[in-house]
Amino acid sequence: MLIDFRFKALDPIRNNVNWILRPLEYVMMMPRSLYEASSEYFTTRGTLDNENQTLKVRQAELSLLANQSEFLMVENQNLRELMSLQKQVPFKTLPVEILFNPSNPISQRIVINRGSEEGLKLGNPIANDAGILGQVVRLYDHSAEVSLLEDRDFAVPVQVARNGLRAAVFGSGRGNPLELRYLPVASDLEVGDILLTSGIDGVYPPGFAVAVISKIERNLDKNSSNVFCTPIAPVNRYRQALAFLYDPKIDAKAPSETNKAGASSTNTPGRRQTRARGMQ
Amino acid sequence: MIDLESGYILRPVNPLFIYFSLFCALLLNLLPIGNYGWVPDWLILCIVFWNIQQHRYVNVFTAFILGLMMDVHNSDLLGLHAFCYSLVAYVAVSWHRRIVALTVFSQALHLLPIFLLVSLFPVLVHWILSGSLYWSGLTAAIQALIEALLWPLANRILLAPQRRPRDVDHNRPL
Repeated sequence: MLIDFRFKALDPIRNNVNWILRPLEYVMMMPRSLYEASSEYFTTRGTLDNENQTLKVRQAELSLLANQSEFLMVENQNLRELMSLQKQVPFKTLPVEILFNPSNPISQRIVINRGSEEGLKLGNPIANDAGILGQVVRLYDHSAEVSLLEDRDFAVPVQVARNGLRAAVFGSGRGNPLELRYLPVASDLEVGDILLTSGIDGVYPPGFAVAVISKIERNLDKNSSNVFCTPIAPVNRYRQALAFLYDPKIDAKAPSETNKAGASSTNTPGRRQTRARGMQ
Repeated sequence: MIDLESGYILRPVNPLFIYFSLFCALLLNLLPIGNYGWVPDWLILCIVFWNIQQHRYVNVFTAFILGLMMDVHNSDLLGLHAFCYSLVAYVAVSWHRRIVALTVFSQALHLLPIFLLVSLFPVLVHWILSGSLYWSGLTAAIQALIEALLWPLANRILLAPQRRPRDVDHNRPL
């Protein structure tokens, strides 16, 4: 245990056992898949009609938005070029399916059906249509483990959507609300504010919803506020999600001479320790 | 071995049945039920049972290997389940004479601490390694209770192939 905890040297063993175990896991997923397939098969025509209708409306809305956003994106990139700012990094997405969440009394994780063979990398964010779910923390060939937002000390740099205030959301263990840490009392926060990823760390692409502020406790005597949030993306409702193959280093500017002297080479943006402290 | 409930001598065990039951328990553990604390750990039920009844076929090493598999499946620290399964297997082997002599329900009561140890071990290890105790993790004790309640059932199912047929030949009683 200590060897795994301190040195992470046992990954070959883990890989091999996983190679044996994964087919069995697939076999045991069959009853559930069968159940789901049959219940889908027996849905009535009426519900399907309704669903179709709402999907059509949604699609019309989205395609309208998409047309506009393409225009805006081109404009934005042009403007950025004019101002000689760094360009937004385009990224690919990879549809993944959530296989199961392993039972663990301490943390919540999910296992997805894509791995390093499909181009997934350690640290890639996973999201669904509502918002960010988590981050890849362990890779196998054809599967990967994803650590969810509520894992202890799991940090995501965020920005308040309303006013652009930057902060970091921390997970505080299974079943506990997320926390916004290190914020002074006077910070402009309200219950119901939506937190978006800020993209500062280079792991998460900017502008994806992460959490909503649910409760604020301001301690005047300690000049700090306890801000609790709830994650936006529901974990257990859907089976599908998207992995962002996002690597901002491709397009990062070369460091200028003045910066180069000060910054150490290990401290490059876009790279950080992906495994949180403590046992996961 | 003697079945102390009915007083009859049990048939010899089929090793294939032992391994088959362990495999089934492993498969049951792999069922994607979700991350709930109370879901019983079928594998440890099976391991404890066979360690008590037939410790020549199932020993600490078997428990270790199966624990390693559960570690990988649960994405825990490698060795967490492996260690606590083999610890429990050792306890079961050393208690086996005492446990077998009891009735099924007091067996369950005696095995409750063993199941508690298995359920709470990950929480304790996390406590030692990171210094913070998860009180919510202690709900795993429910799992141990459920496992203890399942013990009579496990006893019935796993011993079924060894029980003698009911129609005993009265001309040649044994």
